[in-house]
Amino acid sequence: MGDIAGFLQLTLVKAAPLIFAALAGVVCERAGILNIALEGGLTAGAFAAVAASYATGSPIAGLVAGILAGALLCGLLGVAATRFNVDQIVAGTGLNLLAAGGTAFGIVVVFGAPGASPEVHALGTQGEGVLIVAALALALALQLGLDGTAWGLRLRACGENPRAVLSAGLDPRRIRVYATLLGGALAGLGGVFLSLGELDLYSDGMTAGRGFIALAAVIFGRWTPLGATGAAIGFGALSALQFVLQRAGVPSELMQALPYLAALAALTGIVGRARAPKADGVPFDP
Amino acid sequence: MSGRSGAIFAAVLLAIAAGAMAIAGANPIAGFGALLHGALGGERQLSETLVQTTALLFPSLAVAFAFRAGLFNIGAEGQLIVGGLFAGLAGASFVAPGIVAIPVILAAGALGGGLWGAVAGTLRARFGGSEVIATLMLNIIAALVANYLVVGPLHAAGVAGPETAPLPVSSWLPVLLPGTRLTIALLLALALAAGLSFVFARTVFGYELRAAGDAPAAAERAGIDLRRTALVAMTLSGAIAGLGGATLVAGVLHRFNVALSPGYGFIAIAVALVGGLDPLRIVLAAFAFGILQSGSLTMQALAHVPKDVVAFIEGLAIVGLSARRFAGSRGDGH
Repeated sequence: MGDIAGFLQLTLVKAAPLIFAALAGVVCERAGILNIALEGGLTAGAFAAVAASYATGSPIAGLVAGILAGALLCGLLGVAATRFNVDQIVAGTGLNLLAAGGTAFGIVVVFGAPGASPEVHALGTQGEGVLIVAALALALALQLGLDGTAWGLRLRACGENPRAVLSAGLDPRRIRVYATLLGGALAGLGGVFLSLGELDLYSDGMTAGRGFIALAAVIFGRWTPLGATGAAIGFGALSALQFVLQRAGVPSELMQALPYLAALAALTGIVGRARAPKADGVPFDP
Repeated sequence: MSGRSGAIFAAVLLAIAAGAMAIAGANPIAGFGALLHGALGGERQLSETLVQTTALLFPSLAVAFAFRAGLFNIGAEGQLIVGGLFAGLAGASFVAPGIVAIPVILAAGALGGGLWGAVAGTLRARFGGSEVIATLMLNIIAALVANYLVVGPLHAAGVAGPETAPLPVSSWLPVLLPGTRLTIALLLALALAAGLSFVFARTVFGYELRAAGDAPAAAERAGIDLRRTALVAMTLSGAIAGLGGATLVAGVLHRFNVALSPGYGFIAIAVALVGGLDPLRIVLAAFAFGILQSGSLTMQALAHVPKDVVAFIEGLAIVGLSARRFAGSRGDGH
């Protein structure tokens, strides 16, 4: 029984950053912004959290800084996509590169040596637990919010038919920017979990493609908060299973590749036809 | 982007780079000086810049090829890695005189990259799946597969690093300048750029690709098979990136190593956009980015500016250039 409890616990720890990032992806895509800069949001959040905790000695300051950094990075995408009509995919790729380069640069500037930060004051086991519960609670809240509130209806309308939103007297571009800010804050929180929740430091490349796994979780979860969370927990379980199966001789790379292979499978439609929001990634130019 | 706004944008990027150098505690003048010296300061530096130019040119042409056909190939990195892996395996196991072995190695690279591109192309053409998501996923799968193979089953006996057995010296690409790493790969890349320029401007095939990218609905009415075009364009785009991986293996590393690419496939997106998706202007853009790549290490060593500032600026450049109108731009289609 102890083994099973340990496995479930490890699953939740591995799933939590994926849940935050997947929820970020759902919020952005349902509003019509295809945000492939989730990886950059995680990176920025993880780095800023450690830098702020290092500077102030307070992990709570780190938490706030991480959320703000994620919101700032993804908010840039929102502003660029709505005010300058940039191509979201190309801009997202640029933001990922910018976040990777900026944090690698930042490590040297802030901590004085490349590669990794020193250990800082982290959120601890208790904080880690609170963040896991927060991830699940946010998933439920977003599901209810998207389905049953005026806010959710407006946000979804921006992703399906932004012109209708405009006819209703609202500015879909503004709503899209708010969605990327909220999504970015969630991605930043995922980064905080990685650097200050699960660990107590930042190292180069520590997000390790989780932002892309989250994109896969969004598709698998059919663009719903609870669906994406379920997929993220499934991918978290795969990640936890990796430690067990590796001892049995299963190559770890195969286990790591499974979420990405699952995403490719989802694209063929064999797991049921998944449909993206109609205006997902489509610029709105009134 | 017009010349004027392009100049303003370049000036803004330079100012941000100078600011970043100042934050790092360096004198920006010394930083830029070290960067330029490291890239252009002598025959050795210039040849290394051309090595980087070549490495960027192949994936940049690959990205441009797909973008012109209206397909967002974000997967040049993965295609380059798989191409390099195929080339490394072919090169280490196939021993023949260079005149036979080198074409085989390069063809193996193009085949590997082409196959990887074809996976995304098939998902797009057959199932209507997003090539953006597919290529993003395939990048990571490529890195994992390569890592698994060269650490595990294909790991060369007696080699410490995560790499395949070395290529016999006879299979190395001929060097253009003795004592440097500059090989005929540069000439191959330039010929490819000229060839693609001709294909786009003067051939029916190139016209069909551009039509599919610029005005898909009209192209379809004119009898162009969009699905077939998508599959062909992704496959050829992947083959070009894979060929680039093969030239890195046969020309620079002389074996496949998991650290084959420091992200050439991503920087290539910036290069392709700066070059306006025009093969000949991409050559110039690749040289400019080659200067950044090869000068950044000298900048780090002499002016104490972390080399990663280059990736930061490249990322900013991509974001800024994403404002360019993509005619084939549409939803991600999944």
